[in-house]
Amino acid sequence: MKRYALFLGCTIPARQPNYELSARKTLAKLGVELVDLDNFTCCCPPPIQSINLESSQAVAAYNICLAEEAGLDIVALCNGCFESLAMANAALKKDKNLRAKINEILAEVGKEFKGTIEVKHFLQVLIDDIGVEAIKASVVKPLSTLKVAPFYGCHSLRPSELLQFDDPERPHILEDLIEALGAESIEYRDKLKCCGGLLRGVSDDLALDLAREKLVNTTKAGAECITTLCPFCFVALDIGQVQVKSKFNEVYDMPILHYSELLALALGVDPEELALRSHKVKTDMVLEKIA
Amino acid sequence: MEHPKIGVFLSDCGKQLSEILDFDAMTNFVKNVPNVTLIARDSEFWRGKGLQTIIDSIKDKKINRVVVAETLPKLSEVHIAETVENAGLNPYLVEVIDLKDHCAWPHRATPKEATEKAKAMLLAAIERAKLLEPIEKLEFPALKSALIIGGGIAGMQAAVDLTDLGFQVNLIEKQPFLGGLAARAGHFFPTDDCAICIQSPSSDVKTITHTSRKCVYRSGFSELPNLKILTNSRVVAVEGVPGNYTVTIEKKPRYVDESKCIACDKCTTVCPVEVPDEYNAKLKTRKAIYMNVPNVHPPVYVIDESVCRFHDCAKCVKVCPTNAIDLDQKPEQVTLNVGSVVVATGFREFDSSAIKEYHYDDYPDVITNLELARMIDGFGPTGGAIIRPSDGKPAKKIVFIQCVGSRDRRYNPYCSGICCMISLKHASLIKSAVPDADVSICYIDIRTTGREHEYYYERAREMGIKFVKGRPTEIYADTETGKLIVDVEDALLKRFLDLEADLVVLAPAMIPAEGTKELAEILGLELEADGFFKEYNAKLRPTETKLRGIFLCGGTTFPKDAPTASLHAHSAAMKTAKFLTSGKIVKDQRTAIVNEDYCGDCEFCPVTCPYGAISLEPTTEDHFVARVNDLLCEGCGVCVGTCPLNAIELRHSRPNQMWAQMNALMSINGTSKPLVLAICCQECGHTAVDSSGMAGMQYPANVRVMKVPCAGIVRVDQILGAFKAGAQAVMVVGCKSDGCHYEVGSDKAEKKIDLAKVLLKEYGIEPERLEMFKMVYIEGDKFAEAAQMMTERATKLGPLKLMVTEGGEI
Amino acid sequence: MMTDKMERTVMSFSDEVTSRHGGETLTACYQCGTCASSCPVAKLDSSFNPREIIKLSLLGEKEEVLSGNAIWLCCSCFNCQERCPQKVEIADLIYALRNIALEAGHSPSIYSDFASALMNEGRVVSISKFVEKKREEYGLPPLRPVGMEALNKILSATGFTKPEKTEATK
Repeated sequence: MKRYALFLGCTIPARQPNYELSARKTLAKLGVELVDLDNFTCCCPPPIQSINLESSQAVAAYNICLAEEAGLDIVALCNGCFESLAMANAALKKDKNLRAKINEILAEVGKEFKGTIEVKHFLQVLIDDIGVEAIKASVVKPLSTLKVAPFYGCHSLRPSELLQFDDPERPHILEDLIEALGAESIEYRDKLKCCGGLLRGVSDDLALDLAREKLVNTTKAGAECITTLCPFCFVALDIGQVQVKSKFNEVYDMPILHYSELLALALGVDPEELALRSHKVKTDMVLEKIA
Repeated sequence: MEHPKIGVFLSDCGKQLSEILDFDAMTNFVKNVPNVTLIARDSEFWRGKGLQTIIDSIKDKKINRVVVAETLPKLSEVHIAETVENAGLNPYLVEVIDLKDHCAWPHRATPKEATEKAKAMLLAAIERAKLLEPIEKLEFPALKSALIIGGGIAGMQAAVDLTDLGFQVNLIEKQPFLGGLAARAGHFFPTDDCAICIQSPSSDVKTITHTSRKCVYRSGFSELPNLKILTNSRVVAVEGVPGNYTVTIEKKPRYVDESKCIACDKCTTVCPVEVPDEYNAKLKTRKAIYMNVPNVHPPVYVIDESVCRFHDCAKCVKVCPTNAIDLDQKPEQVTLNVGSVVVATGFREFDSSAIKEYHYDDYPDVITNLELARMIDGFGPTGGAIIRPSDGKPAKKIVFIQCVGSRDRRYNPYCSGICCMISLKHASLIKSAVPDADVSICYIDIRTTGREHEYYYERAREMGIKFVKGRPTEIYADTETGKLIVDVEDALLKRFLDLEADLVVLAPAMIPAEGTKELAEILGLELEADGFFKEYNAKLRPTETKLRGIFLCGGTTFPKDAPTASLHAHSAAMKTAKFLTSGKIVKDQRTAIVNEDYCGDCEFCPVTCPYGAISLEPTTEDHFVARVNDLLCEGCGVCVGTCPLNAIELRHSRPNQMWAQMNALMSINGTSKPLVLAICCQECGHTAVDSSGMAGMQYPANVRVMKVPCAGIVRVDQILGAFKAGAQAVMVVGCKSDGCHYEVGSDKAEKKIDLAKVLLKEYGIEPERLEMFKMVYIEGDKFAEAAQMMTERATKLGPLKLMVTEGGEI
Repeated sequence: MMTDKMERTVMSFSDEVTSRHGGETLTACYQCGTCASSCPVAKLDSSFNPREIIKLSLLGEKEEVLSGNAIWLCCSCFNCQERCPQKVEIADLIYALRNIALEAGHSPSIYSDFASALMNEGRVVSISKFVEKKREEYGLPPLRPVGMEALNKILSATGFTKPEKTEATK
């Protein structure tokens, strides 16, 4: 059985039990064991990188060391955690000088980055360790007739040289995974464009403009829901949808679900166990489709 | 060989030198050196009375070795050697040293010390002269024929020049038709006349009217005597040596007999196979049997074997009026014997589908400049109409995007140089043909540097072509209107534009032709980092490569426009002609030689030799030994510096000759400072010493200079030996890394210095006593500085403490 | 006179940025504008333009860059960095500029909150007792302890300082 150290980050345990629940349950069903390690800290995503990039990289390296010591690869659910840890991992593996610099700092806490583990996104674990075919075969409640707009978010795909997640201009793994559940993956304008999530709290106007664009484009293309990979994207489009409604006076009724949630539903997990009530935009329509 | 009788000729340069150096003391010193049979002093010895003295001494058999202290040895020694040869003595039994720029001038403030150094220099020259051997001149046959690989502008131009000069030329082209890129380009800037015309080889075929320019098509090119053209052919192997190569060529079957085809076109009317026409940017189809239009040569159809149904169909065979079609033709191997090879393989467009956001691979209305050229060409698939490939409708709004894959660190970091002009040409031609077309060019910089090019740019603006300073991020397809949208920021306006387009034309980077890597391996040539063939030195020796007998021309070294390619081709033809014209290659035997008893078959030297001059050959005892090809050997000595067993030596720079010089230079100090030995390569290092003297720079006289062909010849044991001989510090002076005249010597020397430093440390000698310097001829000041620095270092470190063993050995 | 002064400023701010983590590739930029048209924020707000920010930095307009609003508006989507033909690490460059700006005392107040949460709890977002209780209800395993000591040691070793809350920026 494949084992991974689960990196939860901060936002998911604080705000999105739905992501954590669906991820744990689906991976358990599909035969991947998740280990919770002690001492993981914040991954130091862009807001922290904006304060001090070097600190962020060192802290990311520290978290990687914990996994190295446990002999486990890391799986991250959040794009931000994935980007922060995977970028640090790739950069330190490649650049000897940088590694030496960071190891000097890590020595102060008795750690050394060795470059022995991989950092993967939840989706990569699904593709690499389980595979689209196996997932298809495990589906008990196909999401047929459900039109899903895939949204990768930014930090799963870019910067592609370091993340090596999928083709940054023509990604397809999320679309493949959506179809594996029996649903229809919808192409829409500016699929790869940012949702504005990180601008929330800095410039709410810009953030809402960008969120709205995504809602408009997915709606125009005929999508019935949007699937996300990142808690920030989720917030931007879910809570954001409510805010868009008040600012622009527009209703979209576009439920936002993490892929893990769709997966959980398709694998037959009881919706009651998925904390779906935490979604601001009701997911009833999706549940009706699979009933 | 007879006993050495050395004549020493001291030139005082019109008594200038004797004001600083004590010539009497020097003469007295030399008198007492064994084997010196004659000493003469004069104002100059490289011409006039002085030179006659040398000639007489040789003819009177008073001397059989010549040592001359003369001004500017690098120039004067040539004349002296020639004269010596005419007088009946082997010209390599001559040693010329420079007491002016290497002694009197740089040490004029310390004349006594300079004189002592002069004595050491003379002694070194004498001791070396004793050990010199006659060097023979070798002659190798040079066939008066050339192989030109590539039938584009450059190849054809070089072919015409060489046939005009009387050489036999074999022109081979991998495509079924000649013409290369020019045949597809239609028009060439800056004159906008037909691409084929600008090549204008001027042949003297009597049947053609002599007008001022003749295009290839009208020039009777294919009828030139001494020109053999092989199309549909590739080079698969090249063996032999410069002057005599054996080239194996694979000729793909054309399936149509060149001597019978009358180009009536009946075959295409019956051929059932229709495929997209690659030559015409897939804007139309062609049959399996086809010919390119306009045609350069040969005017013979060809069958595309990848799609033809052969005997399952054979309709064309039945319909051909001259029975020219032969479906059973097989690939043919052709062997040619040529004296030299000229590479003219040109370049091609970068595959723009790598830049996915431009959708070159999936939007039919996104095309490249070369594809647009086919549209603009009146002979082309659209008869000159500018259309949208997706629906065939006329394209009114056209947007060009420059630098696609060029100036791009992810793909090709260089600027391809010609694409701005190509796009301007196309934009102008479109505007001329369709005045109400809306044409924009998105650029990062507009580069129009050649003659007439700026006016071209001006005219484009006057025609109303729009310029947007910005590189687009993406091309979208507007599904409703069917148009393309180019998303770009005009940086000058600081405004985001969504340019609507019927047609988007990409100006892709120009990259090396397909098959370049393979060809480089076959020929033994190097490629630059960007994949183009490496010219030996673009400034000093354009179109040459590090291998004698192999030349490059045209776009194969870097993208160029037609006038430049033409010039380049003339240059390559000239070089080839010079190389072959006498029918023989003459070189002296200052080459490396292997002592086969010592050779351990380790394979270091064949791998190290930059010229591939050394090969391992089996001996009778089923063991291999290294052998040097005298024709290929360039006399650098890098192999000597590499051999772990001292099994290989370089004639005229033998280890015993070098030791003799070294010991002699270190045997007399006469200054208050520690002796420093500077081993300088004859290309850059030694010339830097020359220039420092010429410029009157000063450095101390304890610095003694020894010349070697290339710093790469220096061995670690020689460096250690220099310290044993009395040097308190050692400098090795070579060319700069990317300018080493023997490719790798300078860097190899550096590696040895690093190793020697480690060893010195182990022996308890301060590694700082040894240093490598890299400089060029005009950096004489660097030499003077380095000499000063090493002197100070050695002084500071104090005398060397060498360990003496019980047997008194150091 | 003007040239001398400008030269000194150009050298020093450009050098300052390139010597920073993330700022190393600043000078590779040749102002093609691909980043600008790739940027979702620039299309909506003309006060933010990544090409312009780089140009100002190259010209040494330190004050304008550091005290302005613009550098805080980047949404870190990395589209610019992905498409840049010169491989300029534009998004990382913005982090570097923010790092310098924060040290100079300019920052949106929200960063102060992030820093506090990080230094006190080891997370950017606080996790309340209520949330921890809810985990139990959902059947999720309790949260593991955060390596606070190591975190704070690393932060101090890398000179991480909490930004002051200022009036600046939205």
